[in-house]
Amino acid sequence: MLDYILRRFVYTLITIFAVATILFIIFRMLPGEPTMQVISPAMDPAVQERMREAFGLNEPVWKQYMIYMKNLATLEWGRSFVSAQEVTDILGHRFWNTILLMAAGMCMTLVLGIGMGIIMAWRRNGPVDLIGTVVGLIFQAAPPFITGLLLLMVLSYRLGMFPTGGMYAPGARPDGVLDLLMTADFWHRLVLPTLTVGMYYISTPMLIMRDSMLEVLGSDYIELARAKGLKSRVIMMRHAARNALLGVVTISGIMIGFAVGGQVVVESLFSWPGMGQLMVESAAQHDYPVAQGTFLMLAILVISLNFLTDVLYSYLDPRIKITAKGLS
Amino acid sequence: MSSSGASHKLHGLRLALGEHYRIINSNKLSQFGFWVIVVFTVIALLAPWLAPYDPWEMTYDSEGNFASLRPPSWEFPMGTTHLGYDLFSQLILATRTTLLIGVVSGFISIVIGANVGLIAGYYGGKVDEVLMRITDILYGMPFLPFIIVLIALFGRKLEFIILAIVLIIWRTSARVIRAQAMSIKQRQFIQMAKARGASDFRIIYFHILPNVMPLLLLYAAFNIAWSIITEASASFLGFGDGETISWGGMLYELWLSGKTRVAWWWFASPSVCIILLVVSLVFVSRAYEEVANPRLRKR
Repeated sequence: MLDYILRRFVYTLITIFAVATILFIIFRMLPGEPTMQVISPAMDPAVQERMREAFGLNEPVWKQYMIYMKNLATLEWGRSFVSAQEVTDILGHRFWNTILLMAAGMCMTLVLGIGMGIIMAWRRNGPVDLIGTVVGLIFQAAPPFITGLLLLMVLSYRLGMFPTGGMYAPGARPDGVLDLLMTADFWHRLVLPTLTVGMYYISTPMLIMRDSMLEVLGSDYIELARAKGLKSRVIMMRHAARNALLGVVTISGIMIGFAVGGQVVVESLFSWPGMGQLMVESAAQHDYPVAQGTFLMLAILVISLNFLTDVLYSYLDPRIKITAKGLS
Repeated sequence: MSSSGASHKLHGLRLALGEHYRIINSNKLSQFGFWVIVVFTVIALLAPWLAPYDPWEMTYDSEGNFASLRPPSWEFPMGTTHLGYDLFSQLILATRTTLLIGVVSGFISIVIGANVGLIAGYYGGKVDEVLMRITDILYGMPFLPFIIVLIALFGRKLEFIILAIVLIIWRTSARVIRAQAMSIKQRQFIQMAKARGASDFRIIYFHILPNVMPLLLLYAAFNIAWSIITEASASFLGFGDGETISWGGMLYELWLSGKTRVAWWWFASPSVCIILLVVSLVFVSRAYEEVANPRLRKR
């Protein structure tokens, strides 16, 4: 298994490398000055010239590529055109805000989704099953910006139950993550964005759990457990749910990967100061160093999550040892 | 799904027109979905003749007053925006954009996905390894941020939005179709075709392809639905085509105008349309899923 994990890890590194290369190519295909990637057109010509030297932009493309890769590896991600702050500094702040929101949303999705899935499989073809399926599919079909807007319009504007956005009250800037987590205000503000994320993704674990439960329930060893006279609750939880979870684990990894991209919408809607909001703002302002850095950071997050899923999966399903090569 | 050994096609999985009719009518939800899609398609085709106003034309009511932020009425069935644009006309013309993006990117992406999947699954070995590594790399790309970067760099044009969606979205269909192609490859009728000296091209496109057809249609529907959601999300964030009206773009204008607190009608109609169309695609695709994955059929 170690061999499998190691190989997956190497693939992960190659993938990050490839994404960085694609990013280089895309920014190089930019119409107009290729230097716009790192040099703000608003800068003093003398400064522009000096920066051109520093980034090797007068050199041939392959050399620029080497410099680009070296800069990425040594965390020299450039400075914002707008605020002149280091990109890595900006990202350092934003990273945890995104993680907090994602963690809350995914916890809600998985706990509720798996629970609902078990109940639906248990009461198969009953009213709970039917309503759950239809509601789940509708939630999935509603893009997060629509559910988010609806929640804002009803719970925030109309009923005044929740603030309209932000992570903390204007002016109250907490010192660190721990400090933030201690304030009730933060949790209050977390509710709407979490609900928005949760509603969009809940149908995935719910329907997968339901389907794999039903699949497991049809197998021989469940029949055997029934024949032994075990209570149906015991069969459901101990025998069926455990095995059905495997399918959910694989899907969850991919789902959480998708959710990283989806953060862009939720964070913009609720003015949540995370990487998704940063992505939209920097792209709209043509702040290329920030846009590039944020994209790369989001990609690294997705790729790492995919890797973790693979590892977790191989741990949960021992059969993977034999078929390591077949899984992709 | 009994593979009839000697015959070189799995009759049970080949879909004639009558089969499609049977699949769509197999349950209420897919029937509903099918008719919703038909209605939207008709609206999209007839859009310029159905819409009473231009999408960005200031309207006046029968008494000659500027019609700003009007709730739905006989004159303006879906109400108007703060600038007096008729939302009913916008909605109809936007249907065309949304369907166009959905169908074009859904079609191109399923063609790419199917080819990559079939070739990787059939040849296996090095070819498979390379194609699947490329797919893995795409799985590392955050979807919406990728579209935002492309649009920010190259401009807010419909072509670029479609291109950006297509570049990413084929990844899922490629993986799924590859897995299916790998299992079909093992079947007896493929071995027999090989023994008879059929070319690789013939085996892939005449023997394997027809058998992954239900799966292909299922993922084509998914791809269309994802394209629609993605285009709407990108438009809502201000990265849509600025010169073509779309459902997501209508909601972006609402968000920009800051009238979310008052103009519920402006929010309602595009939102309902997006959800209705996507949910219909999902309902129809679930009917095909039961054909593609017979294990689900008994439940």
